[in-house]
Amino acid sequence: MIENLLLGFQAAFTVTNLMFIAAGITLGIVIGAIPGLGSVTAMAVLIPITFYMSPISAIAFLVGVNKGGTSGGAVPAILLNSPGTPEAAAAALDGYPMAKRGESRRALKFALFSSVTGDTISDLLLIVLVVPFAAIALQFGPLEYTSILLFSFALLSGISSGSTVKALIAIFLGVFLASIGLDPVDSSQRMTFGEINLYDGLSLAAVAIGSLAMASVLQELIDMRFGPQPAGPAKAETAPEAEARSGLKTALPIGEFFSHWKTIIRSALIGSGVGMLPGLGVTLAAFLSYGATRRASKTPQSFGTGNPEGIIATEAANSAVVGSNLVPTIALGVPGNIAAALLIGAFIIHGIVPGPFMLTMHGDVIYALFASMLMANVVHLAIGRVGIQIWGWFATLPKGLVLPPVFVMCIVGVYLPTQSLFDIWVMLAFAVLGLVMRRGGFPVVCLVIGFLLGDMFETSLRQSLLLYQSDFTVIVESPIALVFLALTGFVLIRAARRA
Amino acid sequence: MIRLTRRTFAAALTGVLTGALAGAFAMALPGAALAEYPDKPVTLIIPYKAGGSTETMGRVFAEALGDALGSQVIVRTRPGAGGAIGATEVAKAPADGYTLLFAASTAILWAPLTQDVDYGPEDFTYISQITVYQQAIVARADAPFNTFEELIAHAKDNRLNYADQGAVTKAFIDYLAKVEGVEWTGIPTKGGGEAMPFLLGGKVDFSYSGGVHSRYGDQMKVLMSLISERLAASPDVASIQELYGVAIPGQALIAGPAGLPADVVAKLEAAIAKAIEEPKFVELVTENLKFPIAYQNSADLTADIDRTNEGLKKVLEAIQ
Repeated sequence: MIENLLLGFQAAFTVTNLMFIAAGITLGIVIGAIPGLGSVTAMAVLIPITFYMSPISAIAFLVGVNKGGTSGGAVPAILLNSPGTPEAAAAALDGYPMAKRGESRRALKFALFSSVTGDTISDLLLIVLVVPFAAIALQFGPLEYTSILLFSFALLSGISSGSTVKALIAIFLGVFLASIGLDPVDSSQRMTFGEINLYDGLSLAAVAIGSLAMASVLQELIDMRFGPQPAGPAKAETAPEAEARSGLKTALPIGEFFSHWKTIIRSALIGSGVGMLPGLGVTLAAFLSYGATRRASKTPQSFGTGNPEGIIATEAANSAVVGSNLVPTIALGVPGNIAAALLIGAFIIHGIVPGPFMLTMHGDVIYALFASMLMANVVHLAIGRVGIQIWGWFATLPKGLVLPPVFVMCIVGVYLPTQSLFDIWVMLAFAVLGLVMRRGGFPVVCLVIGFLLGDMFETSLRQSLLLYQSDFTVIVESPIALVFLALTGFVLIRAARRA
Repeated sequence: MIRLTRRTFAAALTGVLTGALAGAFAMALPGAALAEYPDKPVTLIIPYKAGGSTETMGRVFAEALGDALGSQVIVRTRPGAGGAIGATEVAKAPADGYTLLFAASTAILWAPLTQDVDYGPEDFTYISQITVYQQAIVARADAPFNTFEELIAHAKDNRLNYADQGAVTKAFIDYLAKVEGVEWTGIPTKGGGEAMPFLLGGKVDFSYSGGVHSRYGDQMKVLMSLISERLAASPDVASIQELYGVAIPGQALIAGPAGLPADVVAKLEAAIAKAIEEPKFVELVTENLKFPIAYQNSADLTADIDRTNEGLKKVLEAIQ
């Protein structure tokens, strides 16, 4: 393996590749940082460019875009409380309070360092685990997925500091909304009212960007118009000035960052674990890790008020998914998420047949891909570091100048992937719903995650019911399902006791 | 630092604007000089999500078609409702040859039979078939049956589960059960990426495959071809057409709105016939996706579509 990896480095370590990686990461960060556009949009837009590259360069470039896009999403979440993608939503919970305190650069550094560390850990796991993984993955059928998703819902209900019941209501409202569209079993339409745009259900981008990013832009605009006007020129105080005035440091010594090593490793492992199971996705990893870190913390009440551990938990976990997501992609030919599916599309175009024989048939390219991923992490750190200076400058712009373009970008971001005007109306409707939910103390992120996982939850549940003919005793035969269901019960009972 | 950033930003912006303007002029100029089709970019609508085999094929095909037509061909994905959203858009587009559809024939045929959509098979001009999706019933290599007849015999004594991929596939596999007087349960999956692990992990006994099985080599065996002919890669295995007289639509085709002028159709037919011989496209389709290149001209394809639609109606009536 080491020998293969060295050969991979030999093939991938060229100036051209480094340049493509750097270009990919830069474009990824920029696109990911635009509210409304995430790594998936970035990859979809940039894949045609790769037609003109060699396979290794093309894949290195796309890996860069994916890494940059995933970490770039944290930028608007931290600076504007307006996460461009659901996967960065958890970064806003503590990042934005930090930025408001004037520690925006520190928050961005925490985010970048965690992304790169989490990503590196996950890449190493990918290289080591890709071969033995295939056998384990096949153990996960619909029953196991159903129990994992139930366990996730239980954990997520404890994420916000508010009431568990309100969080559960928000989650299952999301699951309900996900059931709009074609029934997964007999393909009849549900709640579509004959509207063809609803046959596939509501679009995730529209729901997520509307209720998360757009709602917070609207909230800010309302506050600017009707909220208490800050006295005089104090409003124009820029973040660096605030930093200078309050005497807060912008520096983040590497030693201080690594003093959070427990959180870093826990989050990277959660992210890698979630990433290895196809379909669960980046957002779930981020929130599970955020929840786990809060649970493990000695001061859980400090989360949501600007605790850097919250940023580390989110960013280390969501970036860790990027690497480990390729485990099922390479071991089984099953893409772990949309980004991996796009990567598979690029593989096919460049003559690499995805599937369980990818490693034996195209080992040279795969190991060059691994090498490129490790190289990309170093490049990512360097480029991200420069980027922070630029984002810091953006943070100094007055809100009145930043919010209108963000508003427009949200609309563009929703329109781009499917080019549907209907989705824009859906997004605006969810922006209003998001505002109402915030007022009522319902966690909006729970709605989004419920929606995100709802389809998978329903499908797995109904697959299990069909497969085992509604015989519940089969749960006993599956140790994986048994463990996760027991954990679900434990988490819920503990939450009920505390309330 | 700030000033540098601003300058760089301004330079980048100017660059983008100049590029866009130059592009606009380049597109506008030939348009003014020539009135013959095509005098502006052609839009190729693919009604599926990015990353799938049709979309992958479409991207490479669009480039080859653009070279053959002497015009730019722009790919747009309009996913949704099993292809019905993109198909609706093309059906309603002006019949001038500038809006084309690249899709599986099911997108055109199945939705009007089973869903409430605003188009029917008569709303399209069928231009050419590009390839045939290699659909089949497959099982794990160590399954206790080697042919479809043995599978039926096995199903008489055992309760079997299979992985389907949506309504069309479920309808055909349940039709087979009905004809043979057996019963099996369809487990819905969202494509080969989910169905193949179910099959390999022993959760289901057999599965529909839209062609993805070819990537699994000798871990899989093909029990029956579900299209009207035998699979290119498994010429010894009988097809559903031979055994049961029906077939799942498998055409990957280019269509336009109904009433395309004959000269536009002729021009497109010639350009498509040339484009599918482009080595890069041939390599992608035959080597990487393992589909055959199966060109059909407009007349043959239109007749084929009529036949396929009759078969679909027969299957639907039988299972209802």
